[in-house]
Amino acid sequence: MKPKAFELRRVGVAFDGRSVLRDVTLDVGEGECLVLIGPSGQGKTTLLKTMAGLIAPQDGEITVRNQNFLKMDATERLNLLKRMGMLFQRNALFDSMTCAENVAFPLRETTDGDEAWIGDKVEQFLEAVGLSQARDLYPDEISGGMQKRLGIARALALSPEIIFYDDPTAGLDPITSRKIVELIQRLRHEQNSTVIAVTNDMNRAYQMADRLALVADGGVLVTGSVEETKRHPDPRVRQFIHGSVEGPLSPVSGGG
Amino acid sequence: MNHLAHAIDEIGRTTMFFAALLKTMFRRPSRFGDVVDQTWNVTLQSLPTTAMAGFFVGAIMAVQFTMQMRDFGALGYLGGLATSGTLREVGPLLIAFMLSGKVGAYTSAELGTMRVTEQIDAVRCLGADPLQELIVPRFLGIVISSSLLLGAGLLMSVLGGMTLGHLFAHVSPEEYVRHIPTILTWPSILIGFAKCAVFAVVLATICTYRGYSATGGAKGVGRAVVTTAVSTMMCLVVMDWVTSYLAEAVMTLARGP
Repeated sequence: MKPKAFELRRVGVAFDGRSVLRDVTLDVGEGECLVLIGPSGQGKTTLLKTMAGLIAPQDGEITVRNQNFLKMDATERLNLLKRMGMLFQRNALFDSMTCAENVAFPLRETTDGDEAWIGDKVEQFLEAVGLSQARDLYPDEISGGMQKRLGIARALALSPEIIFYDDPTAGLDPITSRKIVELIQRLRHEQNSTVIAVTNDMNRAYQMADRLALVADGGVLVTGSVEETKRHPDPRVRQFIHGSVEGPLSPVSGGG
Repeated sequence: MNHLAHAIDEIGRTTMFFAALLKTMFRRPSRFGDVVDQTWNVTLQSLPTTAMAGFFVGAIMAVQFTMQMRDFGALGYLGGLATSGTLREVGPLLIAFMLSGKVGAYTSAELGTMRVTEQIDAVRCLGADPLQELIVPRFLGIVISSSLLLGAGLLMSVLGGMTLGHLFAHVSPEEYVRHIPTILTWPSILIGFAKCAVFAVVLATICTYRGYSATGGAKGVGRAVVTTAVSTMMCLVVMDWVTSYLAEAVMTLARGP
């Protein structure tokens, strides 16, 4: 049995009294890639942000590498967060900084490296995602695919051990999507990191995942490996992976 | 009743935000360079308007006082009274109003946009503390520059009063400034700058809190800016009364029975 990176026990999240997640119990092993799939508006992003410490759950417990994530003090939490990276759904790039400054930001904030070292690191990460030419451009001067790659470079700048990807291929053409997922895979193997990703694109989910989990109706159904998911007997899983309109799942409009 | 509960709730949240901000300021100080940058930005943004407003405030005070002073044959005290009034009352309030219109709105819109585009979450995810990184430098920038602006505005008000006093009341510039040191005592100067600092703290807390806690896209940012403007104006007049009252009490106490 692999050691656990994450253990969620009966986690519940509500916004203004409206319950979004209920009784979520989920484990993620070290070095594993877990992909969260499911209809829009049913809590995938909320679950991801809860695991990343951006949303505080009302109920339950979250353990990250045997440490109680919800009860640790601010310094411990900050130290743990430094070992995590996140790519946001809409990238959340700093629009007042150039591409190079975006990647340099976490390095300047959390390391004692001098400017020469930071410059080398930035160059290395921009090179890895194929953005060396765009180093002095601002995020709104580059394409959607490039913004996504810049977001990945920034998320990986601190060589995090746990990385969250929120819909890394949203709004991208199939070729760019495939390239982005290949990049995620390559960097994951290079850095030996744990990956938790959200996507609605089943092809990309199959390409990335060690395990898949369906988030629907405020709960999580771990479906197993790609092959197990494809053969899963639950009608909700079957409906989702076949994209059928008729079935037990009812997508809710809005972000998830 | 709901509105009242909501207002009390908001006052509580803003106070808690202010406490968190103070805690961060002392436990994890922001970079000196960031604070200097913010102070420079705020001062530079508001200097021309503050200088112009200062000039005309001095002029208005001179016009208002001239008539009464002439009746008492005390025109020599015009400069001293106009400057003291500007420093103790009109100056700090005017600076705070101008800063709230310009820097307050700008700050809450900037932070609000960063919040709704998840840039503030990104700062946290990249191992930095958004309060230390974004809020404290902006807060200190507003507080420090408000005092600098009060100083600049005050000099301009002396110039304004002197010019208008000379043109319309025929008080010579020498006569205008002669009694400023007699009337403008140290306690008045302290009260003026203390008031200015209190107003700046109120304004900076409200605008950073509103921006930081904005939700719901472009509409949310718009709402943050509007509530910043409205609540700042209301809080400033209330704080003006509180600080004037306290200042009088302290002065009375200092003078003795």
